[in-house]
Amino acid sequence: MAKVEFKNVSKVYDMYAKQSDKLLDLLSIRSKKSTKQFWALRDISFEVNDGETIGIVGLNGSGKSTISNILAQVIQPSSGEVTINGVTSLIAISAGLNNNLNGYENIDLKCMMHGLTVEEIEAVKPSIIDFADIGEHINQPVKNYSSGMRSRLGFAIAVHTDPDILIIDEALSVGDSTFANKCLLKMEEFKQQGKTIFFISHSAKQMKTFCDRVLWVHYGRLKNFGAKKRVLGNYVEFTEWFDQLSEEEKKKYKQNMLRKQYTVQEKTKRKQADKKNKWTAFGHLAMFIPLLVLGALIVLGY
Amino acid sequence: MLKDMKELFKEQWEHHNLIFRMAKFEVKGMYQIHYLGSIWQFINPIIQVGIYFVVFGIGLRGGRPIDGDIPFLLWLLMGLIPWFFISPTMVQGSNSIYQKVNLVSKMNFPVSLLPTIRIVGNSFQFLALLVVLFIITLLYGIFPSVQLLQLPYYLLSMYMFLFAFTIWSSTIATLIRDYQNLLQSMMRMILYLSPILWDPMGDRVPDWLGNILKLNPFYYIIEGIRSSFLGGDWFFEDPIYLLYFWTLTFIMLYFGSRMHFRFRKDFVDYL
Repeated sequence: MAKVEFKNVSKVYDMYAKQSDKLLDLLSIRSKKSTKQFWALRDISFEVNDGETIGIVGLNGSGKSTISNILAQVIQPSSGEVTINGVTSLIAISAGLNNNLNGYENIDLKCMMHGLTVEEIEAVKPSIIDFADIGEHINQPVKNYSSGMRSRLGFAIAVHTDPDILIIDEALSVGDSTFANKCLLKMEEFKQQGKTIFFISHSAKQMKTFCDRVLWVHYGRLKNFGAKKRVLGNYVEFTEWFDQLSEEEKKKYKQNMLRKQYTVQEKTKRKQADKKNKWTAFGHLAMFIPLLVLGALIVLGY
Repeated sequence: MLKDMKELFKEQWEHHNLIFRMAKFEVKGMYQIHYLGSIWQFINPIIQVGIYFVVFGIGLRGGRPIDGDIPFLLWLLMGLIPWFFISPTMVQGSNSIYQKVNLVSKMNFPVSLLPTIRIVGNSFQFLALLVVLFIITLLYGIFPSVQLLQLPYYLLSMYMFLFAFTIWSSTIATLIRDYQNLLQSMMRMILYLSPILWDPMGDRVPDWLGNILKLNPFYYIIEGIRSSFLGGDWFFEDPIYLLYFWTLTFIMLYFGSRMHFRFRKDFVDYL
């Protein structure tokens, strides 16, 4: 059985010209016929087996983070099916620590939110502190941390919550090379334990040593997925070709690709409300009758 | 029909330990950066009570007691202490999902706990102030009557109302950001429309106006807490008002839980 499966997954964002259009759409009372849409992901399908390490590459804005957010179940796909057999943990640069609390308390808080019990937290705490390696700062509020310290602490906590699917979204690019190596060692350890890892990075070098297969997303579409050697080769070839273009050509290429991500959605006529819906609406209105009667009684001083 | 509501309560119950632990951290994080720490939880209310007492008690009432024998300061405290809990809890509770959903959606942690965590977090201060209020009442020479037994009932009413309101309100506040500003202005207005700073049952107020003000659910809660301390009416002596309050709470909870589950998965998209 596949550990993670994407079946024709798309993520579409409506592009509103005005903030008020969004509200009208929400209440589904908008009269305007069409909406401009942006396809952050379009028709992505892939399968990942248990214990695989998958690299995700692509240019800025190509949809890497959207994939990682869907994997982590932070956002829902607009269409398509996502099957995930296991617990995911997303490690992103924005570690989500509470700035006013110190390191210890943040460890407590985050582990708690990951669903660890008090005993489990006490058990992993020393190894988190050891891994983060931020010395005396562990007693300081997180707002006094450098950005490197913050991401180190965030990373240390996330890897100790025992997920079986890890999603690493460019988290390693902040730390220095010593810490990056330490993380890669930890990743290696996870790999030995047979955990599934998604690794999102710009660095083809890190990916080469570390991943089994590579997935290349290109302006919302799956360009290439397969053995790392082939895909990374293609990707490097593409970036080299892209880099040698003149500024003008680069701009043109980008515009051309982006244009394909925009579509205009004709508003489908709303289906006629079926009977059941009508009855629920009626029932909802009926709930207010007792309230109105009681309110009237109170106002009249019964 | 009540599926969503049941699910909502189930989530709260299953995570009640987590709610209390998270609430403790919230309070800690809030006051840790201040030199005076949690003493601020008492300094703020004291300053406000002082101002309201000078303006409304001395300035407008000339220090006259309420109903002939209840000292105004005591009467004021019985309204303000619940209000110091209700008002910030409603505003912060409504904002809680918008503020934190980004953090928690990455974890296996139901979003519906966020408003509850706020309610519980603010309760520490409230319960401490309630004890202080009890002591002050004794110092004024007013000793508890049998009616004090109904205090738990009115506290339960208050918590249920806050829970229903914040579930409903936090969903709207996430989808429509303007709502949060509206709510803040409304809360300022409701302070003056509730029996907190002035007595709507006094002789200068016509009956019809007093009756309209009773539609405000905080009227029910605050007058109820007062009657528990001062030995007023029993809560079952006015069944119509009781039914009105609980119908209102139920409707909020019903639509609140429906909306919450309808939009839960899309919250992040609305940030």
